[in-house]
Amino acid sequence: MAHADLLLTQPLLELRSIEVAGRQQPRLADVDLTVQPGERIALLGPSGAGKSTLIAVANGLLEPDRGSVLWCGEARARSKRGRRRQQQRIGTLWQDLRLIEELTVQQNLNCGCLAQWGWPRAVLNLLLPLDREACTAVLEQMDLPSSLLNQPIGALSGGQRQRVAIARLLRQNPLLWLADEPLASLDPRLAEELLELLLRETGAPRALLLSLHRPDRIQGFSRVLGLRDGRLQFDCRPQHLSGAMVEALYAGRAQP
Amino acid sequence: MKPAAPLLVLLPALVLLPVLLALPAQVHGGGWELIGTFLKAAIQPSLDPLVLRSLLEGLGVTVGMALLGWACSVVIGIGLGIASSRLVWRSLSGSVLPAEVLRRLLALPRSIHELIWGLLLLQLVGLQPAVAVLAIAIPYGALVARVVSDLLDALPDQNLNALLLSGTAAPAALLTALGPPLLPGLISYGGYRLECALRSATLLGVFGLGGLGNELLLTLQSLEFRELWSGLWLLLAVMLGLEALIRRLRQRWGMPSRFGLGAGSSGQRGRELVVALLALLPVLLLVAQALQVDPMALLQWQPLPAMDGQHWGTALALPWLPLVWNTLLLTLLAAALAVGGAPLLLLWVAPWSWGRRLLQLLWALGRLWPPPLTALLLLFVLKPGVLTAALALGFHNLGILGRLLLEGAEVTGSAVEEALRCGGVGARIALLYGRYSGLARSYLAYGAYRSDVILRETVVVGLVAGTGLGSQLNESLSSFAWDQIALLLLVYAVLTIVGEDLSDRARRRLL
Repeated sequence: MAHADLLLTQPLLELRSIEVAGRQQPRLADVDLTVQPGERIALLGPSGAGKSTLIAVANGLLEPDRGSVLWCGEARARSKRGRRRQQQRIGTLWQDLRLIEELTVQQNLNCGCLAQWGWPRAVLNLLLPLDREACTAVLEQMDLPSSLLNQPIGALSGGQRQRVAIARLLRQNPLLWLADEPLASLDPRLAEELLELLLRETGAPRALLLSLHRPDRIQGFSRVLGLRDGRLQFDCRPQHLSGAMVEALYAGRAQP
Repeated sequence: MKPAAPLLVLLPALVLLPVLLALPAQVHGGGWELIGTFLKAAIQPSLDPLVLRSLLEGLGVTVGMALLGWACSVVIGIGLGIASSRLVWRSLSGSVLPAEVLRRLLALPRSIHELIWGLLLLQLVGLQPAVAVLAIAIPYGALVARVVSDLLDALPDQNLNALLLSGTAAPAALLTALGPPLLPGLISYGGYRLECALRSATLLGVFGLGGLGNELLLTLQSLEFRELWSGLWLLLAVMLGLEALIRRLRQRWGMPSRFGLGAGSSGQRGRELVVALLALLPVLLLVAQALQVDPMALLQWQPLPAMDGQHWGTALALPWLPLVWNTLLLTLLAAALAVGGAPLLLLWVAPWSWGRRLLQLLWALGRLWPPPLTALLLLFVLKPGVLTAALALGFHNLGILGRLLLEGAEVTGSAVEEALRCGGVGARIALLYGRYSGLARSYLAYGAYRSDVILRETVVVGLVAGTGLGSQLNESLSSFAWDQIALLLLVYAVLTIVGEDLSDRARRRLL
């Protein structure tokens, strides 16, 4: 494994008293969160609760106004090189997937490795898609045929795109998997499948932090967090989540 | 093995290899100190009030000529555009033949660069302010006409036919059915033409038709670099101001951007627009008065030397093949340098936050700095020839394409690039994969269009750097060899019309 240098016991992500300012009220306030290897965490909350902001802080896209973020025990690296090494251990499944429409499936999968590759390989991949075997392997892991490798992204169905996006993450092989409402705008069957795949691939030493709008898909997670108005309301095991807690979380908001 | 979209954008930059290999042989040794002095003068322009006053006067003339030439071209263009629209003729008379004929005829004024028009008119009617205005108005008018007729022909014809069937008079029917849908595209294109007109007016000045261009040339020739830079910075301020104003108005009125190919913009604030157009009229009249433009003076032609037909033999014996070949080579080199250079430079500076700003400044200078002056500057250190001319022309068009590339990058959006950066990918590769993929097609399509403009512009540097049809034209013009001029113009026209057709085909394939 590429991550042999990291102790399995070290938390993959630590957020300490995070605050992100907003226009009227803070988008995140006083958020503490530790993610251990092997954990699969569902982040619940109504729209506007700050879920996307939390994910953006976790993957380094957004720097908090206050508080500190540690990845595998390290603060944000100063050097560009160190920063990039840190970023490689974090993988994000974006709601809009962010696949590159103009490139083939194989070239898109290889995007997961661009951070490790130098210039020459990155450019070569645009000329002759590289690493066919490794790409076939991750596609098969996602139950997709290798015949898709040469297809442009534009030719894929919605479900296939989802799987290619996860296969790209497998190719990147991050420890911390983040997903920002990946199930929104999916039909129930596809959503179920996607969730199953994500939970399957994120056993130790990996971990998953996934935000959800609806509270009815928390089976299979090891922890559930509730976020409202930028503050964590609860942090418990799914079996301890009561109807009253859910109701309080969504009170006064559009029903999920 | 087919290169993927982002690589296609960089492919033209491969021309740099032969160019860099050939460059050392072109260096003639001297002149490096001059280049050094020139660069140093950039940060210490002359602030002498007398110099500034004369530069400002020149700038006023240039802006005035640009404004008048542009306004005339828009009026001419709309008229001829309607007259050469297939849709209009089909609806009014049932036959599209007149439209087709007019379209073919308009290709001729369009294919001849405004500089040639300017020099021809200069010979015909002598030096007067109206020459520059007309020199801009003729080719620009034909260009606007083409765009107007293309826009018109892309509209559905049911509305117009319905109005005509119900007995509405033709002019009213045309205005009602076609005016509103035509306007956004026309205004957007018109704004872009105004920017071009400012560049053209500066260029015409370099060749003695008045305004700041002339001052720039004189200061360069007398090596007064500090005064030269005062003029350049002034011109830069005006150009950037104009570009910013046009961009703001385009956004405010909801007009499509050049890159928003086919994006559904509808247009807003119609009343404000009409007021702005009406306010432009007195401004134009005042400018015309200040410049002492006298349209009647254009009718007094000077006697031409007789064309007795004896010299056709000499004209035909010109080295046509090398002339045409050099012109084509110059076009290809300059186009490849500009189209490939812009994305390559943007990639190169991607990791540095100040890099993009610096590049924008460089590109802005490239846009406003007339190519013949670049050629003159390059001649301090390089020998005259195709390569020197290509560098000068390439630098100018690099400025234009670079700005367009950044506009395209904005339209493409940052999502994919951001996602790649988030996964630890370096700035350059993230830009290459994340942005260039999305903008490749439309950028290259614009590059194809630009190559066709570059072919027309070769005459501009040819006059200075001594290469191609342009330099021959200069010689023929100064010796009043009308037979040679006529033949040269004909060859130029044929080349540009063929070039236009090729670039149209390339564009249609890309989009």
